[in-house]
Amino acid sequence: MNDPSKPRQTVPVHVVGQFSWGLTILFVLASLCWVLLPYTGSTFSALVFLLAIVLAGTRWNRGPVLAMGVVSALVWNFIFIPPRFTFHIEKPEDMVMFAMFFVVALSMGHLITKLRERESALERTHREQEQLQEAKHHAELAAEAERLHRTLLDSVSHELKTPITIIRTALDGLGTANPFAAEIDTATRRLQRIVENFLEITRVESDAVKPAPDWCEFLDVIHAATSPLQRELLPHPLRIIGAENLPLLKLDSRLLSQALANVLHNATQHAQAGSEIEIHAALTKEDTLEIRVRDHGPGLPPEMEERVFEKFARAPGSPAGGTGLGLAISRGLMRAMKGDISVRNHPEGGAEFRFSLPVKTRQP
Amino acid sequence: MSKALIIDDEQQMRRLLRMLLESRGYEVCEADEGQRGLQEAAFHRPDVVLLDLGLPGLGGLEVLKRLREWSDVPVLILSVRDQEATKVQALEIGADDYVTKPFGSAELLARLDVIQRRRGPRHTPEIIAGALKVDLLHHEAQIGDEALKLTPTEFALLKVLTEHAGRIVTQNQIVKQVWPGQSSDPSEGLRVHINHLRKKLGDRGVRIVNEPGIGYRLETE
Repeated sequence: MNDPSKPRQTVPVHVVGQFSWGLTILFVLASLCWVLLPYTGSTFSALVFLLAIVLAGTRWNRGPVLAMGVVSALVWNFIFIPPRFTFHIEKPEDMVMFAMFFVVALSMGHLITKLRERESALERTHREQEQLQEAKHHAELAAEAERLHRTLLDSVSHELKTPITIIRTALDGLGTANPFAAEIDTATRRLQRIVENFLEITRVESDAVKPAPDWCEFLDVIHAATSPLQRELLPHPLRIIGAENLPLLKLDSRLLSQALANVLHNATQHAQAGSEIEIHAALTKEDTLEIRVRDHGPGLPPEMEERVFEKFARAPGSPAGGTGLGLAISRGLMRAMKGDISVRNHPEGGAEFRFSLPVKTRQP
Repeated sequence: MSKALIIDDEQQMRRLLRMLLESRGYEVCEADEGQRGLQEAAFHRPDVVLLDLGLPGLGGLEVLKRLREWSDVPVLILSVRDQEATKVQALEIGADDYVTKPFGSAELLARLDVIQRRRGPRHTPEIIAGALKVDLLHHEAQIGDEALKLTPTEFALLKVLTEHAGRIVTQNQIVKQVWPGQSSDPSEGLRVHINHLRKKLGDRGVRIVNEPGIGYRLETE
């Protein structure tokens, strides 16, 4: 408040309080000393005032304390230094006494408040350091928890995937000419999809998905999305529209292709064999990539448009074998990339999923 | 007869791989952890190594690093999905290619063939991959009977990919050879040139396939 470098602030209420308390105390002490004056002499009252200033300095702000110093010097002069009830001082030694009192009162007030301010600043720093330490500790704990979570996820992932890998490799050696082997093969693929979906939704939900955008061609994204689905996409001719006209895009192609793959898989599950699946891709003005995936299936039952993206949401009449997680994962992945996904029934039939994703572009 | 060394901690996986490889005429030795893998490699001098990335103890990457200190045996990495960064690391410290579990046996055997074919000393200035012929002497490339009109950068890019035909090349490996000494992030430029090259190669049996997060592979029919 007394620091001129700081912008002027309104005086806080507690400081006003200190001023009035200071004056009150001086008034009370002055009256007391006045009563005691015949027994003690004027020096006593000076010491009483100094004591009051020192005590005030240990608790109050500098402004009120210095004011007390000034006021007490004047009061002392006015009341206790002869001739009384004038500011006039006759004797030179009284003059010196008054000057000394003035200087002592002001410097005491100044020094003590300064000392206290420094102490409280020190304390504040100390407290801030402690808070910082605590925050750091929390951050470390959180990082440790995340690391543990990751390790756990990785090891669960390893444990679940290894037997599936072994079964699939063994089946591959056996060949699927035997119809029983073919059934095992189908079931194993299904199991693999379920396990992968469960692991992926766990990753998405624990914010463990960290997008790493890089430049890519859109057709590479489509290729990455469709190649693991070759078998499912076999009965569905795929029509890709608009991809050739797209510039280079900066996005995480692994995450986007995974989000696309889940939607494509969903389409193959609901649309009749032989029906076409269309992928439209275009850039909207604000450098947003828009992808629409349309199937020619029965479309969504009413009021399922939002619910299909919920975990375990399954439209009535869905074929068995789905986990109800694929679309939830797609939405989680799109949102992790600051994009989104929605769905509607196409006016001419079939469901149409719409992906939107902010991207940087560059003309090749 | 080729000799293959399998380093994998899963006994069943080793057994399956052994059956698969033996049925194709490989002689097989195996190790269940990294240190033993290195010993086996030194003792048996295999023609090809199949290395699991997720080994306990001495990890797959470390095994590869130590192996590469004294051996340039072709190494095929066995990995799982979501290990892209580790795969790239492995490829850059000297692995030749990778397969992702679960893999098909046809894919595995094809990769093994390709990585063993590499590294023969080259006696001609021509590299041939399917219908593609790259003439290093005259800096010319042709596909079928048709000459390709390539810029110097595209030629350098095609050369790297053709030298590694059928094998994965990481983005960094390409950049190091095509733009030596470049320090800024060149992924954007690389994509642009790949895009041009793809257009020039057209649909004539030679494709440049992108593997997200890893790199490129030149595939021929």
